[in-house]
Amino acid sequence: MCELYSKQDTLALRRKHIGPSCKVLYAADPIKIVRAQRQYMFDEKGERYLDCINNVAHVGHCHPEVVKAALKQMEVLNTNSRFLHDNIVEYAKRLAATLPEQLSVCYFTNSGSEANDLALRLARQFRGHQDVITLDHAYHGHLSSLIEISPYKFRKGKDVKKEFVHVAPTPDIYRGKYRENHADPASAYADEVKKIIEEAQNRGRKIAAFIAESMQSCGGQIIPPAGYFQKVAEYVRGAGGVVIADEVQVGFGRVGKHFWSFQMHGKDFVPDIVTMGKPMGNGHPIACVVTTKEIAEAFSSSGMEYFNTYGGNPVSSAVGLAVLDVIENEDLQGNATRVGTYLTELLNRQKAKHTLIGDVRGVGLFVGIDLVKDRQKRTPATAEAQHVIYKMKENRVLLSADGPHRNVLKIKPPMCFTKEDAKFMVDQLDGVLTVLEEAIGAQTESVVPENTPCRTKPPGT
Amino acid sequence: GAGPGRSARFSAPWRPTGAERPRRCWPCGGGCSVGHCHPLVVQAAHEQNQVLNTNSRYLHDNIVDYAQRLSETLPEKLCVFYFLNSGSEANDLALRLARQYTGHWDVVVLDHAYHGHLSSLIDISPYKFRGLDGQKEWVHVAPLPDTYRGPYREDHPNPAVAYASEVKRVVSSVQEKGRKIAAFFAESLPSVGGQIIPPAGYFPEVAEHVRRAGGVFVADEIQVGFGRVGKHFWAFQLQGEDFVPDIVTMGKSIGNGHPVACVATTQAVARAFEATGVEYFNTFGGSPVSCAVGLAVLDVLEKEQLQAHAACVGSFLMELLGQQKAKHPIIGDIRGVGLFVGVDLIKDKATRTPATEEADYLVSRLKENYILLSTDGPGRNVLKFKPPMCFSLDNAQHVVAKLDAILTDMEEKMRSCETLRLQPEAALLSPPLEKMKHPTQIHY
Repeated sequence: MCELYSKQDTLALRRKHIGPSCKVLYAADPIKIVRAQRQYMFDEKGERYLDCINNVAHVGHCHPEVVKAALKQMEVLNTNSRFLHDNIVEYAKRLAATLPEQLSVCYFTNSGSEANDLALRLARQFRGHQDVITLDHAYHGHLSSLIEISPYKFRKGKDVKKEFVHVAPTPDIYRGKYRENHADPASAYADEVKKIIEEAQNRGRKIAAFIAESMQSCGGQIIPPAGYFQKVAEYVRGAGGVVIADEVQVGFGRVGKHFWSFQMHGKDFVPDIVTMGKPMGNGHPIACVVTTKEIAEAFSSSGMEYFNTYGGNPVSSAVGLAVLDVIENEDLQGNATRVGTYLTELLNRQKAKHTLIGDVRGVGLFVGIDLVKDRQKRTPATAEAQHVIYKMKENRVLLSADGPHRNVLKIKPPMCFTKEDAKFMVDQLDGVLTVLEEAIGAQTESVVPENTPCRTKPPGT
Repeated sequence: GAGPGRSARFSAPWRPTGAERPRRCWPCGGGCSVGHCHPLVVQAAHEQNQVLNTNSRYLHDNIVDYAQRLSETLPEKLCVFYFLNSGSEANDLALRLARQYTGHWDVVVLDHAYHGHLSSLIDISPYKFRGLDGQKEWVHVAPLPDTYRGPYREDHPNPAVAYASEVKRVVSSVQEKGRKIAAFFAESLPSVGGQIIPPAGYFPEVAEHVRRAGGVFVADEIQVGFGRVGKHFWAFQLQGEDFVPDIVTMGKSIGNGHPVACVATTQAVARAFEATGVEYFNTFGGSPVSCAVGLAVLDVLEKEQLQAHAACVGSFLMELLGQQKAKHPIIGDIRGVGLFVGVDLIKDKATRTPATEEADYLVSRLKENYILLSTDGPGRNVLKFKPPMCFSLDNAQHVVAKLDAILTDMEEKMRSCETLRLQPEAALLSPPLEKMKHPTQIHY
């Protein structure tokens, strides 16, 4: 591969010219990627890595069909949506077809952040309410309006929570307020939202929206319990607010059984606004907000135009259409179910073997491995998680760690991820964890209560 | 379908048939700078698409190369870059940077400004907020430095200083209320405000007042950067050799239609932002493909000498339009620099009242002649020219000839003496053609 700069020079130039807030992965030993195909990335030395991180390369890095669609359209026309064009309407039609009937009106933007900002504007314009209920550890984007509703961000910075933002406990049944041993965590968590609504209303405040990632990723691969969203929707709508499902990370079939993650909760749960992005264009900057006719009409009633220079352009739409085609033609949803199930199975076996693994949770190709120092206390194993991802990198597997305690290994690879890849990844992880646990030493034996039947041989024997 | 908040540019659908090969201006800010579907740009995107398109958390040559190339076009201090996908994202980040750096909150903007569609930017865009949520208490509006229609005009001895004093006044009143200025935000050449060319010296004066108050100067180059003004690469450079903004935002033409945008700033501002400890990550910003596209656009601008070309065609266009102004009383003012030109249409020379309906009618007649133009300005009466940079002398000649013909026709039909006034029955959006002689029947 012909490099313009040596890796050292690339790094030096980056330090000189790129905002230092823009971080690289593996900061202690950054990685230079020059090429990628399917679920593999290649560094400047030609070393191949298994990519378990990039859900954005949804149908596989540099998928030829998507590349071809982009080229074909780029050669012909790439202009803004103030002119009529077939691609944007075709794309809107195809997207609407994947969603419940009421969600039929599309606004195209370029990023999930733009989409979420527009979702907020739609929600607020609808009835003139202002307040937003968000989940703890949520991340909805980097724009000013979204940092305000992203505890994942504003808790870290010097920003203070705004008075029109209300934070509900994240419905995390492993580490949250109500856990797997609770009789009905879905209701318990939903009641927290109800409480917030009541308190806000008592202070004369009006709820515009409840916004949540259908599954929190930065929050640590959290899958809300069944029934949670339905109850929340009831409370929120009762207060005149709308429900925004942020599918930016998790849409487009990643959960396998359904196209949209919110659909896991049942046909009786239909958000009022859905935002999507990231995987939508396989890396091309595309995002979208889909909502109901009612909400769209309320938005346009102000008479103010919404114009997004690049949103919905013919090339972006062609790319989006190609991605939808590939998902269908290659049965990537089916693959996500099959490989995801297999992966989770393998990981559960690892959980039985390694006490560092506190929880394995996931659906389709959206999986999280929650590392703990202590299984009873569920103390996050933050340093260990960092160590693991560096070691996995050495073993040519790219993983990232997230969650409020940065201890959850996140797996959300391109959807063409295979069973062989899953096996490879887990084998490497097994090796890394084994060595790590040996290094930690006696601790691994002491956390296992004496009367626990031993299902597998302890490490080292 | 697409949301109703978006308006179609023209009221009736129109598409050329296969037989026609209409000549086309594309002056509306479509973000296409070096020419639609430029093969070198397409090739660059395609080649990179085939190899890698991932996020900026991995090291890659394209992003650093692009940053370096951009830094070469800017004053030395502006050497740190953030890549994003849209001008709106860029302006939002600029706001965040300004606030973090200064520790202040308030923003001074120009009247009729438009900085983007995001919540934060509607708040600082009088063009938008006047029709929506209204002015927030932390937003302060200074008069647009419009020497044709503003409070200080071409007959004022020193409009730059006069308009800058207005900003000083705004800043003082803000401080009196115990508030603090984070930034003065302005499009280097206000476009939506009506193709305004701020008088030379205005920005340096303003910067002085703003910086003294602890704020920073943000130059929004989204509409006008990348050589459009001909004489310089960046429009703010028209304001003087020594004038350097603290933050510059770029977008639209940067990627010839590909969603790319950028914020350039100083090391000091960047370091203050980093000091928050919060990462800034933009999923698609700075991707290898976006940077390859950006680099290709810079290459084409250079190879095809489009900046010089813009200067040349721009002055020719201005010359032709100047002749039209002498001929047609409806043209109140011609202003422009390079390929950024505005034709201000008026009902009355003395009052300079915007000829809004006439402008609208003119635009629809131009469309029938296969020329795409739009209007802007608070009176929606300024014809905006910001075509692709490959716009030729022939194109300029053609557009002006058509403009002349239509204006002549309008004047004949409207029967006004000195100025053009539409008769009641003719003041329709698209008057029926049978009432008008078809353009091809006009002999001139």
